Amino acid sequence: MERRNFIKISALTGVAATLDACRAPDKQLIRFIPEDNLIPGIATWKPGVCTLCSAGCGLLVRVMQGDAEVVRNGQRGLMKMGLAKKLEGSPQNPVNAGKLCARGQAGLQVLYHPDRITHPIKRTGARGSGEFQEISWDDALKEVVSHLTALESSKAANSLAFLSMPLSGQRHKLIESFLKAYGAPPAVWYEPFDEAVLRQANLLSFGHAALPTFELGRADYIISFGADFLGTWNSPVAQSIGYGEMRRGRPGRRGKFVQVESRMSQTGANADEWIACKPGTEGILALGIAHVILSEKLAPQGAETRAGSQIAGWSAGLPEFTPEAVEKQTGVSAAVITRLAHEITQSGSSAAIVGGAPLAQTNGHFNALAVNALESLVDTGRDQNGNLRPILGFTPEPPLSAAEEPAAPAQASFARLNSFAQSALRGQAGAPQMLMLNEANPIFSAPPATRIGEAIARIPYIVSFGGFIDETSVQADLILPDHAPLESWLDSIPESGSLRSMVSLAPPAVSPLHNTRPMPDVLLGLAQQLGGDVAKALPWTSFEAMLKAALVPLRSHGGSVTAKTDDDFWQSMQTQGGWWSAPAAAGSKSAPATLSSATAAKHAPVALTAPEFAGAAGDFPFCFQPYVSQSFGDGSLAHLPWMQELPDVLTTAMWSSWVEINPKTGERLGIQQGDLVEITSQAGSLRVPAVLSPGIAPDLLAMPVGQGHENFGRFATGRGANPLSILAPVAERETGALAWAATRVKLTRVGGPEQAKLVLFAGGMSGFPHEEEPR
Amino acid sequence: MSHRWGLVVDLDRCTGCEACVVACHAENNVPTAGADQAARGRTMQWIRVERTWEGDFPNPKVRFQPVLCQQCDNAPCEPVCPTYASYHTPEGLNAQVYNRCIGTRFCANACPYTVRSFNFFNPKWEMPLNLQLNPDVSVRSVGIMEKCTFCVQRIKSAEIQAEAEKRELKDGEFTTACAQSCASTALVFGDLNDPNSEVSRLASSNRSTKLLGELGTKPNVTYLERGTWQDAKNS
Amino acid sequence: MGWQKWLLLMVCAVACTWAMVKAVPTSHAGQTDLSAHVTSGVFTTAHPTAAQAVRDFLDFHPEHPVQPIAYTHAVHLANGLQCEFCHVGVDQGPEAQIPGVAVCMTCHIAIDTDKPEIKKIAAYQARGEDIPWVRVYNYSDSAHVRFNHAAHIRAGVGCSTCHGDMTKQTTAERKVDLNMGFCVNCHKQKQVSVDCETCHF
Repeated sequence: MERRNFIKISALTGVAATLDACRAPDKQLIRFIPEDNLIPGIATWKPGVCTLCSAGCGLLVRVMQGDAEVVRNGQRGLMKMGLAKKLEGSPQNPVNAGKLCARGQAGLQVLYHPDRITHPIKRTGARGSGEFQEISWDDALKEVVSHLTALESSKAANSLAFLSMPLSGQRHKLIESFLKAYGAPPAVWYEPFDEAVLRQANLLSFGHAALPTFELGRADYIISFGADFLGTWNSPVAQSIGYGEMRRGRPGRRGKFVQVESRMSQTGANADEWIACKPGTEGILALGIAHVILSEKLAPQGAETRAGSQIAGWSAGLPEFTPEAVEKQTGVSAAVITRLAHEITQSGSSAAIVGGAPLAQTNGHFNALAVNALESLVDTGRDQNGNLRPILGFTPEPPLSAAEEPAAPAQASFARLNSFAQSALRGQAGAPQMLMLNEANPIFSAPPATRIGEAIARIPYIVSFGGFIDETSVQADLILPDHAPLESWLDSIPESGSLRSMVSLAPPAVSPLHNTRPMPDVLLGLAQQLGGDVAKALPWTSFEAMLKAALVPLRSHGGSVTAKTDDDFWQSMQTQGGWWSAPAAAGSKSAPATLSSATAAKHAPVALTAPEFAGAAGDFPFCFQPYVSQSFGDGSLAHLPWMQELPDVLTTAMWSSWVEINPKTGERLGIQQGDLVEITSQAGSLRVPAVLSPGIAPDLLAMPVGQGHENFGRFATGRGANPLSILAPVAERETGALAWAATRVKLTRVGGPEQAKLVLFAGGMSGFPHEEEPR
Repeated sequence: MSHRWGLVVDLDRCTGCEACVVACHAENNVPTAGADQAARGRTMQWIRVERTWEGDFPNPKVRFQPVLCQQCDNAPCEPVCPTYASYHTPEGLNAQVYNRCIGTRFCANACPYTVRSFNFFNPKWEMPLNLQLNPDVSVRSVGIMEKCTFCVQRIKSAEIQAEAEKRELKDGEFTTACAQSCASTALVFGDLNDPNSEVSRLASSNRSTKLLGELGTKPNVTYLERGTWQDAKNS
Repeated sequence: MGWQKWLLLMVCAVACTWAMVKAVPTSHAGQTDLSAHVTSGVFTTAHPTAAQAVRDFLDFHPEHPVQPIAYTHAVHLANGLQCEFCHVGVDQGPEAQIPGVAVCMTCHIAIDTDKPEIKKIAAYQARGEDIPWVRVYNYSDSAHVRFNHAAHIRAGVGCSTCHGDMTKQTTAERKVDLNMGFCVNCHKQKQVSVDCETCHF
């Protein structure tokens, strides 16, 4: 280039750089006086409760001082405040004993998520358009009160509906008390993967309508039918602790683990023996094993068990369930069935577990009763003194006053949601006129046949408390954003995971970052404003006060917190993260049955029940199994970037959806790894990348739940496909629960990898083969 | 007493839950790459869970194996670094000194375990996700290689605390983020110079093996082999 | 005419660079201090401007930044105040707190209330605002240093070793050149670890 031009360019660049430095400094935000009193650089550990699944593990939250941008009195500024830096399990908590799962670790990203709703907002555009504008708390609450009073005065209090994710403890009680005093029907507690089938079966088999607690650490043999107990089912952390103990925690004893399922899960990958079983026939297999045990008299403690009596033909030795007959129905050979029966009963302490897809069939209840019957036959767990103490137990309820105890849910989530949707769609008297929505997303997770989206659209006024916009909360007219869990007073009563009765409790670990308010306190405030019966039923000015009043009576029950005064007890209970009873004395049984034998007798023993599927096998050759994802749970955690980037441990896929297809099926249909395929059921179709997996039956397809959000923040929106959106509305026969594994589909290839855009960490399923070292 | 830090990975206890992966991300400010960069293979995982599939349906077998920096006593990544950013500390750690690193990536090339992650771009955190960043650990910028440090910030913090209290460190007094979260206790961290520590006891098990040990890297991470169906006795 | 043009070019280049980097930065803040990045929605380790990158690279930092309040260390120390009274945590953990307005007002609610600077402090508190002190001591993020005050206090290192004689300073000044050689020399003298990972991680 010419010298002149070179000099000109250099000079201009220099001037530009200088000017760049001369521009006005970044607008400095004002600094607010800190509300917390922390020393920088030094961490304090605060108790917490994890809310990312229903297990209710205890947390320790590492809080350190840092700078955050906050709004105070309408002004934006910087403030030094306690920031949550890391979550660990609480070592004292009986459920998780200091450990925490992958999802629990990501709780930090819920608190600091960029898509959190930071202040109350009111809808300005059409419903579902996502157009909202800021409204003050005062105005927002005035609006809600006016709607509630209007309903009351027009004698339509029974048309207030409350749709919420399931809650335990005082939040459950608060909502139910509010609704009852107001004159509204009970809340619609909704979650896509509820455990109504297992609870109902456990009630009949063992007398407890509750999730089971297996003390796996004492087991020598575990056979699990479909339960992903090391990943997502029931209380995964507690179960994983027990599993580790079972394997290598007792010198000289290594427990054996057999998994029976039709699709290799993360849990199944750890099994010593993995048994492929036709979908929905797991209960038949369990009874085949029981048949051998009964006919060869292998059961050490005898066959007269309560759970056994729930099965027709039990006392006759289960004549329908010969190994040969069971082989025909399940695909598991008679030789294997016989061998398993011998192995289970030869082991010192055995247990049989059931969960997941086997319960999500039309015959789910039968499958559960069947496995429960096998469990009752083989569970000869012993304590360290050699006394009989089964591996299976049930968590006793904490000794809170009867009014405090939330009743076990009477109806399955799916059935409740259906009735709710139907009543809104019918539009007759009693149809909901106002909906309060709390962290439930049925528009994403319920089968389309429920028409829940249409139903919600009919409701004239919707208020949502959730902290994020999702497919359901975007339909709200008004959003009163809740605090993040780490900013809230939380209590929870874990249903399983430990055999001590307990209540977890945590005060807020950090001050609120945004202009949000805790949902329980908002409801209490509304109650006060409504006055009358509602105010009388909920006389507390804060949720903290309500918690204290309810939980301080635990002081008289001994247990983990000793204190001389109620106030001391309250402080200590917070510091410890809760209250739990002393460990059960050696030789004592777990909590007595809650079901009278009279009620149990009303239920006729069940006969062999085969699964039924939606869709004719000719048109829809594959069974379809959506499964609760290790990363996203039931889909409610897809907005967390750590979870999106966590490679699925079996396929290594991330930031993607995929469907698992058997390689032979792939070959037959011309589908290669990474191709785009279309899956169609009676209810709809979706497109998703294919992953070839040796861990799935040739006539089964499986897909993780969680992606396919249309509206759930920047990390999840428009990503992947939602398997729940093509589920047929099949119900489990006994409980009305959603049989989410009972839909049949067909499969076609529609494109190549460049259209599918599957993201894999390692580039495929074939890793390096395991190298054997000569010893 | 001088320390020599080691980790034991019990493959018979590992369930593949990946709690260790997320715990490490949270503790060590490991950036999230995002979907586009992930598709290019640029995710950063200081610890990852490998899986190996064998066999076909209906008898497939899967084995999980957490892989992290092996903190090799004879590390191939150390001699190849032109700026001495990768070197061995007296306590047995393979240290990565970020400010010396000029991004040649020879170390990642030399590492047989593929445990080193390179910052191909400046990491981003959409605010306020950055409020979670751990102030005890650097936030690395573009052009810097990073990898598992055995949570050196926790080691230093514990050592300083013990010195302040004029005592020795106790086994189990602190641990790495991954081992702390591991529910099945597959990961155990501690001082190999302490004959009574849990990690010493486990490392001397008859199931112990080293990953690619035949290469002569002398890792300080010991793997305990998975058991079999017939296995009734253990270490 | 060739060499004169090149000389002119060199002089221009040096002048521009000097102007660029010497332009007073708002604060010598590392990237982990949010105040430098508040206007954007993304936190990144990238420098916000090229000028700031050069400043960081050449370790240009203000020696004696102007503070919002004309504080005098000399006067307070002469009155018997100990360092730890305001700089809480220096003997407990890695960081020493820079005091908030509440600390000042513990005494100045009563002392010297008619002085204009004290009135300014009281006004901050009345508005609910904290004093926006400008950071004087810090390591650039690219140094990747994790300095721990408490370990040094316990080892008997006096504050003035690194911070200079505060009895002669008003607002804080970087009188001591805290380069790595300074740290390593003292570590060698006291026979403390000079392993890289002692400070860099």
